[in-house]
Amino acid sequence: MLIPAIWMASLVYASELTLLSIGFTLTYLTAKIPNFAHGTYAGVGIYVSYTFSKIFGLSPYLGFPLAFILGGLISVVIYILVIKVLQGLGGGAIVLTISTLAIQIFLTAGIQIYAFWLRAKYGTYALLFLLKDFDFRIAGFPGIFAVSMILTVFCVVVLHYMLTRTKMGIAMRSTAEDPELASVLGININRIQIFSWFLTGGMACLAGAMIPLWFMSTPTTGAMIITSIMAGSLLGGFENVYGAVIGGIVVGISEIMLTTWGQELLGAWVGEWRPLIPMFFLVAVLLIEPRGLQGGWERMVASDTGQSILKSIGLLKEEQLA
Amino acid sequence: MMQQVALGLLTSSVAVEGTSRLIVDIAMYFGLFLIVAMALNFQYGNAGIPNMGCAVQVIMGGFTVSAITTRLILTLVGNAGVELLPWASDYDWVYNNPANVATTNTWLSTEPVFGMSMLLFTLAVALILGAIIGWIIALPAIRLRATYLMIVLITMADASQIVGRNVTWISGGTLGLFIPDIFKWYSGDRTIVMAIITLLVGLISFFIFRTMLNSPYGRLMRSIRENEITVGSVGKNVVGIRRNILMFASGITALSGSLLAFYFSYVVEANYQRALWTYWPWLMLILGGPGNNAGTFLGCALIIAVRRIIIVQKWFLQEVFFFPVAYFEQVLLGILLIAVIMFRPNGLIPEKLLYIPGVNYTMMVQEEVEVDWRGTTTVQRGFSSGIKGIFNVLGGKKSKEEKE
Repeated sequence: MLIPAIWMASLVYASELTLLSIGFTLTYLTAKIPNFAHGTYAGVGIYVSYTFSKIFGLSPYLGFPLAFILGGLISVVIYILVIKVLQGLGGGAIVLTISTLAIQIFLTAGIQIYAFWLRAKYGTYALLFLLKDFDFRIAGFPGIFAVSMILTVFCVVVLHYMLTRTKMGIAMRSTAEDPELASVLGININRIQIFSWFLTGGMACLAGAMIPLWFMSTPTTGAMIITSIMAGSLLGGFENVYGAVIGGIVVGISEIMLTTWGQELLGAWVGEWRPLIPMFFLVAVLLIEPRGLQGGWERMVASDTGQSILKSIGLLKEEQLA
Repeated sequence: MMQQVALGLLTSSVAVEGTSRLIVDIAMYFGLFLIVAMALNFQYGNAGIPNMGCAVQVIMGGFTVSAITTRLILTLVGNAGVELLPWASDYDWVYNNPANVATTNTWLSTEPVFGMSMLLFTLAVALILGAIIGWIIALPAIRLRATYLMIVLITMADASQIVGRNVTWISGGTLGLFIPDIFKWYSGDRTIVMAIITLLVGLISFFIFRTMLNSPYGRLMRSIRENEITVGSVGKNVVGIRRNILMFASGITALSGSLLAFYFSYVVEANYQRALWTYWPWLMLILGGPGNNAGTFLGCALIIAVRRIIIVQKWFLQEVFFFPVAYFEQVLLGILLIAVIMFRPNGLIPEKLLYIPGVNYTMMVQEEVEVDWRGTTTVQRGFSSGIKGIFNVLGGKKSKEEKE
């Protein structure tokens, strides 16, 4: 094999994290709150894959469409039952964030209960598992390596097309920019919100369904991954979908590669400190440039030296400045 | 009757069991969470700082006991001439810990003054270290928007647990560390003394917070919560004040971690989980009423009583569920949190106006204070308006509507 397994692992993880970070950023754009329950949708996806492979005996890939729809539905239900009601009551950002934390606790407990129910009903051990055996192989590579990257690129391209070319996407962007003005123009904000919550929940659950095909999964995996998601989203600037793509890739690759290199150089004990890498990103971004890559880009465009560097690379054209 | 029970509890030389055990347990946890919830009320309810990192400060208190107090006790006991196994290296520190603690406990059984001074020393160090942690937390986060602050603090709570798990010399890693029993001189059950001390510390911190909130500084805090730009425009250093509040509250919160360590005589990072030490205090605060001391007190008492009874009686509940009761507890936490936010956003006891000595603020506001920017408005003060105010209070909204 030409690609070492560890690079494949980091690429798979990075593509999953990218999908999750995009969703997290979209939620932040439309609802203006960090959704702490976002990682838990991925936890639901993990158990969709588990149910399809271990209980039904099918390929976990067949569960992906169901995971997308299920995640979307859960997300929409949360929006209608909790977020929308609280927004109607005049809840601020802090109250809404606390409510998403409560949803995260509730959903994680629900996943745990489901895992115990599976044990009681089918006698399978659903608390710590890996579904690599259910994967297929393409030209010597594990299927998930190709599938995760293709799915992520597909999602990013479709999302880009939708946000820039379709009426729905433009309505979404205008709703994120100024909901009141958008509603004056005749956009049904409620429908747009429901659509965007469905999209983010579905993407998160889809990303979650891919996790157990390469990584060891437990009921709390979804709750643990939220730090990495937030690091990726924050690195991208928190309010920029394209930034979230870069942020997700950077945090995902560095989380696995830095741990591996650290283990080779310093010893096995580095592995235990892996959760600190996304936290390091979080704190570093907040200390250096709280608006992430987006803020850095704007700062570069504003300064003369930054402009000359960007022109020499070819990233900035004359007409963009005008 | 109650006196006899209390005396019986204090003087009995056997371990408490059954219902008395439950009462001691509830008292202990009530004291601990009263400290955390009041500090949270101080920060969020009054100054508007959403501190989601209470667990960091609590774990700091626990680490103080295991890393500093235990070392100090072992050094002092060794200097007093007691033969101890080596404890300098990381391996010896964990491996010889139970034997060393047992030897130390026999020595401590005749030294009440030494034990109590160690308790006071620990509380002082925990206060200082907690304040330092508050300062460190404030460094990256205090200038940020509230949501960013919450994200950073939640991740810091996880980071502190990872540190505790992997740095052996702090709290013995995953194995945990035994703590010398500073109440060995007491013939009865240690936990009763510990519960009484914790309750005392909890009540003292309750009154400290209450006094601070009713002082000019408390009014400054509330004004920062309402509009920090206005406060900044009249020359107050908003960032500095918020950092001071975070440091003070962090120091007090760290006390509860130390007290918990002495209660168990054991420190392990798993005791200081984020869910237990951050989300439950938030539920107490929101249930009782953010910004109201009495409300926080009530919320704390209610939640602790219900939760301890569920935990103690869990074998009866376990027969009903096929999954561990711990997850039922989490479901309950999630649902309660959302339900309270939705249906009682102001809590059981809503926020009240602050007490200002010399000014009968409550009655003043019960009078219709017509702030009319166009002309002169007479705001009635004094005795007669006070009487009217009382009638307004008794009459409720009706009298106001009639006047209109």
